[in-house]
Amino acid sequence: MRLLVVLLLVLQVNSLQADEIFNLIKIPNLEVYKIDNNQGLKYLNSKQNFIIGVKNNIKCEKANKTNLANTFSIIERNLEKYDAKFLKKINLRFIVLCENLYISEINTAGIPDYKKRTLILDINFEKKYFERVIHHEIFHLVYDSFKEFFNDKTWSDFNKKSFKYAECSTCSDRLNLDLYDNTDGFVTEYSKSIPSEDMAEVFSFLIFDRINLENKSKNDPILLNKINYIKSGLDKINKL
Amino acid sequence: MINKIKASTSEKILFVFLILLIIFSFSFVFIIKNKCLFIENIDPKKINFKNPSNIVVMNIECGNVIIELMPEMSPNSVKRFKYFIKKGSYNGSTFYRVVKDTLVQAGDLEFGNIENINYYKVGSGRSMLGNLNSELNDNYQFIEGTVALARGDEFNTEDSEFFIILKNIPLYTGEYTPVGKVIYGLDALKKIKAGNKSEYVLRPDYINYFKLLR
Repeated sequence: MRLLVVLLLVLQVNSLQADEIFNLIKIPNLEVYKIDNNQGLKYLNSKQNFIIGVKNNIKCEKANKTNLANTFSIIERNLEKYDAKFLKKINLRFIVLCENLYISEINTAGIPDYKKRTLILDINFEKKYFERVIHHEIFHLVYDSFKEFFNDKTWSDFNKKSFKYAECSTCSDRLNLDLYDNTDGFVTEYSKSIPSEDMAEVFSFLIFDRINLENKSKNDPILLNKINYIKSGLDKINKL
Repeated sequence: MINKIKASTSEKILFVFLILLIIFSFSFVFIIKNKCLFIENIDPKKINFKNPSNIVVMNIECGNVIIELMPEMSPNSVKRFKYFIKKGSYNGSTFYRVVKDTLVQAGDLEFGNIENINYYKVGSGRSMLGNLNSELNDNYQFIEGTVALARGDEFNTEDSEFFIILKNIPLYTGEYTPVGKVIYGLDALKKIKAGNKSEYVLRPDYINYFKLLR
């Protein structure tokens, strides 16, 4: 009898999660927004708030339909910069759109999950940074898929010897996302957090604001090395 | 001399009510509770199939479900699926996971047979034949009646479990290995017992037998 009660409790916990989308990516309360067959991307939006993660540390809210309609074209336009072949190589299949995305109580624009082939995006994220940050998050998938082409040690060696990254991306107060006037090896303050975030920042400007970034690199040999390193990694991926 | 006693109006109403109650109870037990009442049971022998070697018949509580396999789409998966059917491995296999009006899942050969179902482990059983590689197709549309192999969170973990979708699910295209399509008997599948609030079912319905047409 006790076993039966335990079993029923377990089944009860699962009850909200019983849908075909949850089966695939283990995020509850989603619905299909758009399936893009050309790019092989499947856009999903949250119809209710959801909480996921090992310690329930990822939270996001229901996507407001009007916000969704306004932001979707921006997201789609930016993701169209990548072809289907590339997206497949970096294991991106599902784009989850929700509002006010938090990980461990920190607001974030996106959370990529290489294993689940998913990128969660906060459609309410600060407009000023939103478009560029989409590419930043894409890079994390690139990095996770092709670690052999993006080595932290090689990257760190581009910097001045006196510079040290933080222990983790949220361990420091280096969070500002504005492009530096004087780059001096780093495009933004957030670049100084950890190597993979630095790479993601360079990549995002390379995709979103290439000319400006390349102009800055003319007087910044460290940045130039970093740009070339990212380009070289991307070339290797394209040749696969 | 005994005078004939006439029933009062209220007694007549009570009598009619009792009669109606009996009729309703009878109907409920024998008619309404029979979930298969309006389901047509298809006899595969009465149908001419183009390619009978690709036809399999699954018999469940509400009748036959006739499936056409697609070896040209997923050759290795269909070969494995056919092997289990031929061997009778799916006989007694429970539909332990049912998402109402969406999908039914069966085929756990280790923990999901009605004779010895293990509610704690059902869904995690293996066949001893090892994992199959996913055979995905970005062009195949997962329409109502598609039969596909289930897998773990990762690709290339398919084995014996399969599911049948009861509505179009375009999201599944390129995500699961399709092995066939229900051509008759979808209504019988829709009558499979679902859990009250969960996708996992206590005392689930099961496959009586699953066999090749030829």
